[in-house]
Amino acid sequence: MTVHEIERVFCPVCLAKFKFAEGWKEGDLVICPICGQKLRLVRSAEGWIGKRPEKGTEKEIRERSEEFARIRGYVFGDVKEEIIEGLMGKYKRFGDFYCPCRMNHTPEFQCPCKPTRGGDVEKDGRCYCWFFLKKT
Amino acid sequence: MTKKPKVYALSTCPYCKRTRRFLDEHKIAYDCIEVDLLDDAEQDKAIEEIQKLTGKSSFPVVIIGDEIIVGHDEERLRKALKL
Repeated sequence: MTVHEIERVFCPVCLAKFKFAEGWKEGDLVICPICGQKLRLVRSAEGWIGKRPEKGTEKEIRERSEEFARIRGYVFGDVKEEIIEGLMGKYKRFGDFYCPCRMNHTPEFQCPCKPTRGGDVEKDGRCYCWFFLKKT
Repeated sequence: MTKKPKVYALSTCPYCKRTRRFLDEHKIAYDCIEVDLLDDAEQDKAIEEIQKLTGKSSFPVVIIGDEIIVGHDEERLRKALKL
């Protein structure tokens, strides 16, 4: 009996692996269903990985946030533009889009942070920064 | 004379900016430490101080006399500054 292992794609933002959908091929642009990051599919020796095509740009973090909000059905708080500005500041100083309201510069605090990915918005109605809000 | 208020802030945090704007608009002179812009040793010292004062590491932290205000809270700022 042959066991078909489900192929997965590694996301370098949320460090999770999501299912490789039928029809995808190398070079395709896909959205990580967990954090909303746009990724270009690359096959490596360890399996499929996603590359960030616009790494470090305002376009990247805007698109990621918007995709994340769309996937989860969230809306943005009135601090949206200030948060984007803060995220750009974090990238410049600390090398990635870490939460602008905290002093944690580890992958779990890459925006959308792990507590947010884990359901803080459903629980509290908002993320730590009031960036993502639950639709009322 | 009472000591100048002290603000611990992050340069990237919108709520820290709002607190500073509030103080500026009310012409309050204060000392501001942008913790994320300090060099490593100073940063560790500032974070340790914040944790000692507040038990957490949330921003902004405003110290007005004996009053310690965590987060942007205009009502508490007004009260502490007798505005």
